[in-house]
Amino acid sequence: MAKKLIEAENISKYYRLGVLGSRSLKEDLKHWWAGNLKKSLEPTDPESRREIWALRDINFFVQQGEVLGLIGKNGAGKSTLLKIISRITLPTTGRISGNGRIASLLEVGTGFHGELTGRENIYLNGNIMGMKKKEIDRKFDEIIEFSGVSRFLDTPVKRYSSGMYVRLAFSVAAHLDPEILVIDEVLAVGDAEFQQKCMAKIKSISKEEGKTILFVSHNIQTIRNVCNRALVLDKGKMVALGDTESVLASYAKLSRDQLLGNDFSQQAVLPGNDNIRIIRVELIPKYLNQFHVIDIRTDLSIRFEFIYHAEEAEDLMVILQVFKNSGELIFELASPDHTFKNGRVKGESAIPGNFLNDGLYYISLAFVKNSTTRLFYFDSCLSFDVEDYKDSGSNYGKWSGIVRPAFPLNLSQEQ
Amino acid sequence: MEKNAGWQWEISAHRPWFSLNLRELFHYKDLIFRFVRRDIIASYQQTILGPIWVFLQPLFSTFVYFIIFSRVAKISTDGIPPFLFYLPGTIIWSYFADCVNATMNTFQINAYIFNKVYFPRIIVPLSTILFHSFRISIQLLLFLIVCSIYAVKGNPVHLSWQVLLVPVLIILTACFALGGGLIISVLTAKYRDLDNMTQFLLRLFMFAAPVVYPASLIPLKFKFIFWLNPLTPVIEIFRSSFFKPHPLPIMYLLLSFLTTFIILTTGIVLFNKKEIQIMDVI
Repeated sequence: MAKKLIEAENISKYYRLGVLGSRSLKEDLKHWWAGNLKKSLEPTDPESRREIWALRDINFFVQQGEVLGLIGKNGAGKSTLLKIISRITLPTTGRISGNGRIASLLEVGTGFHGELTGRENIYLNGNIMGMKKKEIDRKFDEIIEFSGVSRFLDTPVKRYSSGMYVRLAFSVAAHLDPEILVIDEVLAVGDAEFQQKCMAKIKSISKEEGKTILFVSHNIQTIRNVCNRALVLDKGKMVALGDTESVLASYAKLSRDQLLGNDFSQQAVLPGNDNIRIIRVELIPKYLNQFHVIDIRTDLSIRFEFIYHAEEAEDLMVILQVFKNSGELIFELASPDHTFKNGRVKGESAIPGNFLNDGLYYISLAFVKNSTTRLFYFDSCLSFDVEDYKDSGSNYGKWSGIVRPAFPLNLSQEQ
Repeated sequence: MEKNAGWQWEISAHRPWFSLNLRELFHYKDLIFRFVRRDIIASYQQTILGPIWVFLQPLFSTFVYFIIFSRVAKISTDGIPPFLFYLPGTIIWSYFADCVNATMNTFQINAYIFNKVYFPRIIVPLSTILFHSFRISIQLLLFLIVCSIYAVKGNPVHLSWQVLLVPVLIILTACFALGGGLIISVLTAKYRDLDNMTQFLLRLFMFAAPVVYPASLIPLKFKFIFWLNPLTPVIEIFRSSFFKPHPLPIMYLLLSFLTTFIILTTGIVLFNKKEIQIMDVI
């Protein structure tokens, strides 16, 4: 079997949120005073209790010539693990041993200085990434050719367009020559054409040059394209580790758990109040892939059921609101006013595929009487993650905009 | 599975106190000079006078000191023409202050790099010290020019063999500033309050060194404390080697070496121990 280049044992990382860094000397002294002299007293301030394990007992190894994908949702601990491997932050426990030079690409163009010319910045960034001057001299022509900004080599980079800037920065990164490369997917930025060039380069580094790569992404498509083994992280813990296809299935299950609705029918007390009692809320996606992941093409239907109780006959309306994870209301739907008898009421709605852009969303339901009085508001009762879908060969970047409809846009030309 | 007995590197929570890896530092030597080059190029971009500022800064300060301390306060200059008296003090002091200031803010200024790439962090303070050393070499040239103008006009300029010590004095100042700056950088990274305090203390510290007055003004009972400051022998020996040959205060010079050595070692050890942990608090 191939030689192990990296071995991580029991890696954990502990953060005290909102405490470190934001605390002044005075507060720390107070804390120390409290901790040392009044041991019986717990810190009263709830802020100081916010502690999290960003990573918990991570074990893995990377063999020579393999591409290990690291996949997980936002906040799963991917970046923390990346930072530990890159020696930017220390683990709280555990150990990573390795052989060979590591280069980490968490960002392109680190240390670029606006006042310096493109040429100077190639050397500056190269040196920062651990290249020696001689090495850069040797690869200089290749770098500028790849970047396509040779005409502006002696212009300060602050005069560059953002596209040119990224091109130059990535070109330096692409010509690093370490034994192990640690790459964060977010660095494939810039215009569509260049992104494709970046991904192609990353692929060729792994496939043709046989480099050992640790690749981080939150996108299943990319991981499948690039990696031969994958590690799934969720809330700081390892969920699965193994060959890409089998591991991705468990990642998909992970995302499915997140968006499944709630069935309260077995509960003693249903959520709601005297007028409205919720029995169940669910989101049913019409999956298009074997991984059961909602992507931008997936049709979604929403079903809910509740017990309605009113003293006298009144009009009832349900408003369904879809929010972006950031709290922005994307749209709302309202059922027509109608007078219902007391008892069970069912509701159904649908969001067609090719409508929402990729991202995290949540849904809230409002129950309204006579179009004016709110009876009950069921806040964020569903949440789901829409993944990007990419045909091979298409744009690797993030599509802009809140919605992403597949409206036709065609060009034609008179002969 | 093949077992690799010897790993080339290891990352763990435990960081030894004495971990300065000289081989690694050597690998990154190009980066040190690259940073120096960046600072030189960048500092005079978009200025009209450009590098002339290196000369103008000490001349302006000297002129201000000349007005305030010589003309208004009438503090003795030990019989040396006031302008010549203040100039070397100003140059050495500003070198020291610039080095300390740059070093102590290492983490704040470079957080954006330190958060993305690993390299031995000590490279940054080392390169800033080199950058300021480049500046002071130019300023010392200016001093030589001013000296020769005064000498031609018949003012008393007596070069003594002690001039040969000047490079040693500059290195001593650099080490003192580096050590102090490193210690402060580690302390202020966590507590920003200390940052304001050190700015103030640094300004006060100028008056604890013979920058605007001669050491001969110091009362006998404070003499030892006063000379304990490594900057005192540096500035005094510098002046006396050009203007007023005094016997070399060899004891105090050796004492300065010792003090500086202790401060520098403490600084480097502390910095190396904490350089990565600090990134979690910035």
